[in-house]
Amino acid sequence: MRKFWGIFLVLVLVVSIVAVGCGQKQEAAKEEQKTQEAPKEEAKQETAGDVVKVGWIGSLTGDQAVWGQCEFNTVKMLVEEINAQGGLLGKKLEAVGYDTRGDAMEAVNAVRRLTSQDKVVTIIGPNASGQAIPISTVLEEMKVPDIATVATNPKVTVVDGKTKPFNFRVCFIDPYQGAVAAGYAADVLKFKKAAVLYDVADDYSQGLTEFFIKTFTEKGGEIVAKEAFKSGDTDFRPQLSKIKTANPDIIFMPYFFKEVALSANQARELGINAVLMGGDGWPSEVLLEMAKDAVNGSYFVNHVDFDDPAVQDFKNRYMKKYDRKVELNGYLAHDAFLMFVDAVKRANSFDPVAIRDALETTKIQGITGNIKIGKDTHNPEGKEAAIIKIVDGKYVFQQKYAPSN
Amino acid sequence: MIQFLQQMINGLSIGSVYALMAVGYSLVYSIMNFSNFAHGGIIMLGAYFGFFFLTLFNWPFAVAFLGAAICAAALAVLVERVAYKPLRMRNAPFLYFIISAMGASMFIENFVIATIGPTFKTYPAVFSREPFRLGPLFIGRLDTMMFVISAICLAALIYFIDFTKMGKAIQATAFNPRASALMGINTDLIVITVFAIGGFLAGIAGVLFGMKYTVYPQIGFITIKSFIAAVFGGLGSLPGAVIGSVILGILETLISGYFSSQFRDLISFSLLIIILVFRPIGLMGKSTEEKA
Repeated sequence: MRKFWGIFLVLVLVVSIVAVGCGQKQEAAKEEQKTQEAPKEEAKQETAGDVVKVGWIGSLTGDQAVWGQCEFNTVKMLVEEINAQGGLLGKKLEAVGYDTRGDAMEAVNAVRRLTSQDKVVTIIGPNASGQAIPISTVLEEMKVPDIATVATNPKVTVVDGKTKPFNFRVCFIDPYQGAVAAGYAADVLKFKKAAVLYDVADDYSQGLTEFFIKTFTEKGGEIVAKEAFKSGDTDFRPQLSKIKTANPDIIFMPYFFKEVALSANQARELGINAVLMGGDGWPSEVLLEMAKDAVNGSYFVNHVDFDDPAVQDFKNRYMKKYDRKVELNGYLAHDAFLMFVDAVKRANSFDPVAIRDALETTKIQGITGNIKIGKDTHNPEGKEAAIIKIVDGKYVFQQKYAPSN
Repeated sequence: MIQFLQQMINGLSIGSVYALMAVGYSLVYSIMNFSNFAHGGIIMLGAYFGFFFLTLFNWPFAVAFLGAAICAAALAVLVERVAYKPLRMRNAPFLYFIISAMGASMFIENFVIATIGPTFKTYPAVFSREPFRLGPLFIGRLDTMMFVISAICLAALIYFIDFTKMGKAIQATAFNPRASALMGINTDLIVITVFAIGGFLAGIAGVLFGMKYTVYPQIGFITIKSFIAAVFGGLGSLPGAVIGSVILGILETLISGYFSSQFRDLISFSLLIIILVFRPIGLMGKSTEEKA
């Protein structure tokens, strides 16, 4: 009897491990199975060449899963739409996505799988810089271009003054975002004393912090406190208590919505009344759900204005298909996909290197603004940022803003 | 001075969360002599139970709170039956228990990811976020409640261990399981009781943690800190676990408040290592003859 239970337990464990594995890969698992079960068929398809695969990577699990799922949904929707209209260059598209679980290693593995096993022509994503930076070696080795969605760290496309040949992005970069926030706080809101709380273990947060401080001090403001925490922390009161004694007008919080919600709530609990400000890591339904009162009156820099007429069509299509609101990442994934389609059309080819060459001269009107890729930076240049204020649980668009030098 | 007092309050409230979690580790260690890493998983499940009782069933808070604690206790016993009892019956080496515990902990975490989902959940606002004001000091309502609940639970636990017959039996088993079994103590029942108590406290800790922060499958990250606090205080000693947790909470707070928030973990854990080098059994740890 005991033996039976032992065997039963082992079985339960094995089954659950398999189930968990599938759960984490979600939709991706299906694609994977297909390629594993029928490698020959796959090869045939390729030579027949009636289906072209577009890759996507990002977080389908973990803290940022909300965004990853929205991105992948967007890409799948756009692929379906383009197929319904007869495909691209006469061929059908197929979206293949893998979960990075918010992990740099997983991202590199996912890119390797997409390029060597699935033979995708272009990869869209990931949304986080931490994952977008390390994948470039694989991209360069396999000669497949990648368009990052919301990876705003400069190093995603340029390292030490050298442009990475196969990395592109559709969003503006951290220096720009930090500078926009600092410029708006100093020039428009007329604040003099700022404090910064940032995530010391995160590239994104450090990038924004660095350029916020640079621009804010250049404009004559003073940084009265600079405090750090580490990803995974849930309590920020020690740092906030210290910030409180410095008595800032504004606290810059360049990190993601979960920590923003927790730290905003804790700041108010400690009696801090300063205006809070952040970057594109803020906007999320979850933020308002968790900290509606605490973030009231706060500002953040964003890529898109949710009420912009240009985005309404996409917003409605997404809502109709998935019965869910689009998160910010969806808009950027949409424009990354537009960049890809435009590049394929101009290259008149599905050759990844030809697509790469065409991407370098991208000049399109996306729903998030004008996208004109700089040949030396692989970034969209001169994109204006949207400044948004949170008023009574609503995102209220203030203005399009680009910092003056 | 005001900042110092405020930081002490912050540290105390962080420490009291650690304490509630750390006691479970210590309790099981005192009887079974191994670190029950599945405890973190039970805390996480407790938090999810509380969340679902409050949101899906709309139970009043007190009922949901108690319900979550009872469910967590039941699950802790289940984990013991499934993952540890077979090993216990075979007198397996302690290393096997630890491996089994890690397996159970990963199983629970991934089970939740696969069934409930990886994204975090937010507790509905049960209490007002408006803090109590004490002159220039701010004390969170939830923090006060957490502190009081932690204190009550811990006092009740210490009373139970020291002044009831069952508690004496637990102490006897911790002292020498074989001899106490020969004296007519049902050691299997003792083990169940210990896991049930540990699970009950885990459920309470889980709900409180979830209310204060959020609920997500990787809560284990925090429980590792409370485990370290338990080791620091002396694994197997209940007052040690509490004191170790409070010290860790205050230490972390003071370091980030007065030194550098970037180096908080670096410095606080270096201090812990140094203390353990000089006192390997932890602050309140006793030699193996007098545990619990």
